[in-house]
Amino acid sequence: MISESVNQLVEQFAKLPGIGKKSAERLAYHVLRAHKSEALALADAIRNVKENVRHCSQCYNLSEGELCSICRDTRRDPTLLCVVEQPRDLMALEQTGHYNGLYHVLLGRIAPLDGIGPEQLTIEALVRRVREGQVREVIMATNPTVEGDGTALHITNLLADLPVKITRLARGITTGSVLEFANKEMLTDALSGRQPF
Amino acid sequence: MEKATAIVLRVVDWSETSAVVTLFTREFGLVRGLAKGARRPKGPFESALDVLSLCRVVFLRKSSGALDLLTEAKLLRRFRPGRDLSRLYGGYYIAELLVRLTHDYDPHPELFDAAEATLSALGDASEPTPSAVHVLRFEVTLLQLLGYLPQLEVCVECGTAVAPRDGRLAFGLLAGGVLCPRCRPGKRQVVALSAPAWQTLREWAQPDGAARTIPDRKVGGELRSVMNHYINNLLGSRPRLQEYQSGF
Repeated sequence: MISESVNQLVEQFAKLPGIGKKSAERLAYHVLRAHKSEALALADAIRNVKENVRHCSQCYNLSEGELCSICRDTRRDPTLLCVVEQPRDLMALEQTGHYNGLYHVLLGRIAPLDGIGPEQLTIEALVRRVREGQVREVIMATNPTVEGDGTALHITNLLADLPVKITRLARGITTGSVLEFANKEMLTDALSGRQPF
Repeated sequence: MEKATAIVLRVVDWSETSAVVTLFTREFGLVRGLAKGARRPKGPFESALDVLSLCRVVFLRKSSGALDLLTEAKLLRRFRPGRDLSRLYGGYYIAELLVRLTHDYDPHPELFDAAEATLSALGDASEPTPSAVHVLRFEVTLLQLLGYLPQLEVCVECGTAVAPRDGRLAFGLLAGGVLCPRCRPGKRQVVALSAPAWQTLREWAQPDGAARTIPDRKVGGELRSVMNHYINNLLGSRPRLQEYQSGF
């Protein structure tokens, strides 16, 4: 044992995802070797995130204020609403630079086998938002998995009576790949989701 | 290194890219393993490890208590319930029953085939049989293959032949089967089973062919209720997905 403080730091690092005991020790020694200002900047950054970041009251994205920067942006198209599972999915879509509408983050997916039902997600807020807002199209961008599809289907059923167009992200073969190496499922998706050309 | 054909029953995210998966394999029964990199689209798993998918897997067996290590998975068929939530929840329920009623490294190839056939039917949008019928028939097969099927032919207590009286029979949930009028008194958790429901259960328990019987809405609802109670007693608790099973 070197010191109680170092042990505590190792313990805390070891709780992070993908960090084992050895990696935690390496990180702790890095912090010990680093300049005091650098180490305290890390501590401040963690404190700031925990104290200032919360969920946007409208879309449930991560935000430092009542509304996130996307919901506040008046240049975005409020008639388009993209539904994603997690904030990191939203970030991935934002990085494409090809979407100019708003988002709704579910904060998970319906997974009854894990005890996660619709009431544990932000689905009720989504339905209210579509009902009360100016949304014309809801894009279901939940993951293309059985649980992601099930979540999208559940929401689609809830929105069925509302005058909105509901779409699902396309799926199939990857751009730049060759058909020969695409698997059966990819080709099935691509065929059933074909579009006028 | 082991190879098996597997149905994916559960996938739990583990770290950024890995997952802990529970598989029901034809060759080894229940297998639980860590799939490193399973959540990456490229790599040895190629998105094959999705709930209820059928795939070929390669894994390393670990010592008792530890998770096995999955090294490869090739997708054979993805579960596609279409736009019918009852089919999806039927599939989830089958997965839950398999997790709760089978054991690690206890193979049941016939049960695997029945589960695979039922999931295939649930995933076929053109299949006319209601999903609830597929699920109920699977439950009867599951109970039969695991040795839990209630006694339907003779009184479970004394072994005498039983026949419906006024169109009904006593079915003991705790006793584990039908009861004759002499053995019925004093038994707890006994329900009255209608003759058509009893007949349907008997036919479904036959090894071949008779499983094609499709009950009407009333009998189907009764069978669902009896099966729910029977399975709850067997498991000691209610399966999570049971409340989603109706469909008649």
